[in-house]
Amino acid sequence: MDNLTDLPNAEGFFGEYGGKFVPETLMFALQELEETYARLKKDPDFLKTFDHDLTQFVGRPSPLYFAERLTQHYRGPQIWLKREDLNHTGAHKINNTVGQILLAKAMGKKRIIAETGAGQHGVATATVAARLGLECHIYMGAADVQRQSLNVYRIKLLGATVHPVDSGTATLKDALNEALRDWVTNIDDTYYIIGSVTGPHPYPMIVRDFNSIVGRELREQSVTLFGGFPEAIIACVGGGSNAMGIFYPFIKETEVQLFGVEAAGSGIETGKHAAPLNDGQPGILHGAKSYLMQDKNGQVLDTHSISAGLDYPGVGPEHSNLKDSGRAKYLAVNDEEALRAFHMVTRLEGIMPALETAHAFAALDYLTDTFSDTDNIVVNVSGRGDKDINTVATMDGISLE
Amino acid sequence: MVFLLSRLEQKLSELRVASKKALVAYLVAGDPDLETTLELMHGFVASGVDIIELGVPFTDPIAEGPIIQAAHDRALQTSTSLDNIFDLVEEFRTKDSDTPIILMGYINTFLANSLALESIHERGTDAVLIVDIPGESTLAQIGINNTNIASVSLISPTTDRQRIEKICQTSSGFIYYVTLRGVTGASNLDVNEIETNITNIRMHTALPVLAGFGIKTSVDAQELSKVSDGVVIGSVLVDMIHQQSSQKDYKNIYTYLNEISVAITQ
Repeated sequence: MDNLTDLPNAEGFFGEYGGKFVPETLMFALQELEETYARLKKDPDFLKTFDHDLTQFVGRPSPLYFAERLTQHYRGPQIWLKREDLNHTGAHKINNTVGQILLAKAMGKKRIIAETGAGQHGVATATVAARLGLECHIYMGAADVQRQSLNVYRIKLLGATVHPVDSGTATLKDALNEALRDWVTNIDDTYYIIGSVTGPHPYPMIVRDFNSIVGRELREQSVTLFGGFPEAIIACVGGGSNAMGIFYPFIKETEVQLFGVEAAGSGIETGKHAAPLNDGQPGILHGAKSYLMQDKNGQVLDTHSISAGLDYPGVGPEHSNLKDSGRAKYLAVNDEEALRAFHMVTRLEGIMPALETAHAFAALDYLTDTFSDTDNIVVNVSGRGDKDINTVATMDGISLE
Repeated sequence: MVFLLSRLEQKLSELRVASKKALVAYLVAGDPDLETTLELMHGFVASGVDIIELGVPFTDPIAEGPIIQAAHDRALQTSTSLDNIFDLVEEFRTKDSDTPIILMGYINTFLANSLALESIHERGTDAVLIVDIPGESTLAQIGINNTNIASVSLISPTTDRQRIEKICQTSSGFIYYVTLRGVTGASNLDVNEIETNITNIRMHTALPVLAGFGIKTSVDAQELSKVSDGVVIGSVLVDMIHQQSSQKDYKNIYTYLNEISVAITQ
């Protein structure tokens, strides 16, 4: 197998994917970010501060928890949960924002912008901006503002401004477009905290690196708790930052199977989904080449998923490369399966997962049969589900008013 | 030995010889429909436009402000594809064989049509301007195999000297200097900064340097034409086309272009 860990290359490519496909005005800012990050990632003081913030502010390490009743339910492998839902602000997103805000500070930027889908990245960004007293603007598709109203209010409470985006499909991709336009306009004083392993180089690398704390902890915890690495790791994939964070430290351990789970929405066959790795072709969107949901003319297709955080037509370039290399496998589960998994995990384990995370749990239906009861598999619980109770209630036909 | 100049080179050199500045007009192909676009293209030329920049609609045009973004959406609603645009240019050429045409758009739509792009020079297209590719890459490097069309690159206020050098080496036709930090149609022009930066660019290239983004009035155009080889007018035209599309009467646009044309000649 090709070397998959020493990527991206100097031009920002993971195999044929990635790169820097942006308007010229942004090239300077990307270069500045690349240089700053290259310097700081070797700086002991920077690493010490990042580590301190992860421990004292985020509450790391997150537990590796044995899911006893879920394991009994499937009568297959031992199922373990990596509890990113227990982080401060309730998801893995905070790992990345805690790191990137330090980069922003080092670069002397006064203004922070971010896009958000489910609102978790918006909350995580507004949180770190509040902590440092920086002006913060969050772009969010108007449709997502509706379905994630709880997170919208949290972002506002944290002192950030939420900008609903009406253009296009009014979801995550359009929020990203608008954030890029803001950045082009305010390039001199603004830092853009991208929330997933997407966008132009160096973002996919930076977001992966900051989130890799999850996989590094898992390496130690799995050895301590069950005497070796897990047989498999399962994580949901929208842009793919929680998956990349837990996969990356295991890429070299080829005995550990890696499974990414995309959103099949109403079903792959209906075309109404958000599963570019399962049903897309390579293309270029938001600064990088990657698998993309597009028509034959290269126009980006509308997506559908019950989960706002997975409702995105693209995916991180590193996932595209992992798919082509065969190192990771990507499946897709539909809205109904995800909703069923949400209820099951809530009832069986007393853990209410985010709808994004529920996709990873739903994949257990397809995967547990292939493992024996002495195998250990880990589900990355990327976030908690409080934010989704309105959506779940609506799907179940229950009014909370 | 005969050196054949391309249509774009020919036009720019004629303007240079006559000490005239280039007037480049942008419109989105297919907004409101392709027949209107064709009518407007001829109308533009009759109103003093030297070069036409045809916007290729894309679902996610990240460098565009709200006006042009909305025009892209309208053009996509009538299913305008790059293929239709090649036909449109061919049709335009039956009546106009001099006015250079540049296709301006985003890489993903071009790559989806990479095979057809290999012969677009035979169908009347002279150049492409792809907003979201690194300016220092050649068309071949990004997967477009056609050495008979020019590749116009953007240089912005934030481009440093090293990048300016590299971009000038791979560009052809002209350099498009982005006059502001922002999206198309914004309004924060700083003429002094623009003059300094264009002077810097000229140290690295003999190509004409045209200015665009945020040019609205004939005063803007006149000011900028003094420090550049020409101006690109975009958002204002796209807005006017939209305003007039219900009456299908575009005379005020032609009057406006005439004014700009006169202003930059003075």
